[in-house]
Amino acid sequence: MSFLTVNMMLGKSFLLNCEIFFVTLLLSLPLGLLLSFGSMSRIKPLSWISRLYVYLMRSTPLMLQLAVVYYVPGFLNPGHILPRMTAACLAFVLNYAAYFSEIFRGGIQGIPKGQQEAGQVLGLTKGQIFRNITLLQLIKRIVPPIGNEVITLVKDTSLANFIMVKEVIAMAKEFGNKAMIWPLFYTGIFFLIFNGVVTLLLNRTERKLSYFQ
Amino acid sequence: MKKMSKVLALALTLVMTVSLLAACGGGQDTQNPENSKEVTVGITLFEPMNYYDENGQLVGFETEFATAVFEKLGMTPKFQEINWDSKVMELNSQNIDCIWNGMTVTDELEAALTLSLPYVQNYQVIAIRAENANKYKTTADLKDAKIDAEAGSAGEQAIQADENLSKAAYTSVPMQTEALKEVKTGAADACVLDFVLAKAMVGQGDYADLAVIPDLRLSVEEYAIGFRKDDALAEQVNTAIVDLYKDGTLMKLAEKYGLAEQLIEQK
Repeated sequence: MSFLTVNMMLGKSFLLNCEIFFVTLLLSLPLGLLLSFGSMSRIKPLSWISRLYVYLMRSTPLMLQLAVVYYVPGFLNPGHILPRMTAACLAFVLNYAAYFSEIFRGGIQGIPKGQQEAGQVLGLTKGQIFRNITLLQLIKRIVPPIGNEVITLVKDTSLANFIMVKEVIAMAKEFGNKAMIWPLFYTGIFFLIFNGVVTLLLNRTERKLSYFQ
Repeated sequence: MKKMSKVLALALTLVMTVSLLAACGGGQDTQNPENSKEVTVGITLFEPMNYYDENGQLVGFETEFATAVFEKLGMTPKFQEINWDSKVMELNSQNIDCIWNGMTVTDELEAALTLSLPYVQNYQVIAIRAENANKYKTTADLKDAKIDAEAGSAGEQAIQADENLSKAAYTSVPMQTEALKEVKTGAADACVLDFVLAKAMVGQGDYADLAVIPDLRLSVEEYAIGFRKDDALAEQVNTAIVDLYKDGTLMKLAEKYGLAEQLIEQK
């Protein structure tokens, strides 16, 4: 099998990693923001539930969460099971939302209360204070930690092979049956390139946001 | 602290002396002093071959079989868990001295290793959810189904070799029990696995609602023990296997672990 064919086959399965990545990022960021509002809510039960959720998601292995999301419905009710990719994306979204929510919470709570009070004195509404005062500072503060998670997410997508999603590493391992070991190690290139692009984008974002201190 | 390490050293010396004496004792009933050595047996854990019982004790047909054979040869088996995919490498690097774990004889293994006499016959069966027993009766019924097998296993080969099963939507899983989990939950409709494993697992515990399609045998095969190429140990083990078959020990073990109908007669 030629180098090019292996590349084609690995590349095709890496599309699954990319799909998980984009779906997770797209859905877990807003869900994480909602969750951070929940954690900070003055309505106690809401805050407890949100914090319990974050605790559960951050304290158990993502691999286990994948198995729970995929197999438990079928275990309770045989045959009623999500498609593998849907289950994988769902598990990633649920997990990453918890991490993102803590980053958002840290970002929001890190902004001095005096600014909010100043806004109130000026007669701004709560929404206006958030949009005009908090939001931009928030974004600037959370870009580095979010970037960290995003880079981790790229690598974590390969965990989906735990529920038999044939992503790039699962695919590469199959070459072992054809007496080829190198494709497994070679998959590193795919992650390096993808994360290289992600890193460049993150740096650019940070630079764009550096116009105020 | 110092006192404690002294006591420990004394205890260790005692243990070593005793075991040395024991080893000498063992040497007396065999001619060859080399035979009193320890043999490392490469295994993976699966019922009923090698597994831990409720007391945490390693048991199973292969465990007891190997123990009986090496006892006859005046050796002590030491069971070592290995990664099944790299069993030949483990053997050739002398991490283990034999592979004794329901190993299916294949042409590749025959070329790479010296194999013992085959002792148990096995074949592949198809497990389904019991509720589908009327839907799936032959391989032809499964050609549009979702079907699982362990990657690189005899079950996978059976699927590729069957004209109907090869048309099914196939997913490879890392372990045979994983395939059963997939069938149970409906991630797959059927899976192809060892009869030995199916007999021990299907219908048991959490797999109670699974069933094997009756009278459907795929790729009948035999189990043998693998040794390094031209290792003299193979010949010794073969002699012991024949003896244990003739005195009924082997059949008793096979009955204990539900393998009686698969045991191969030794002459």
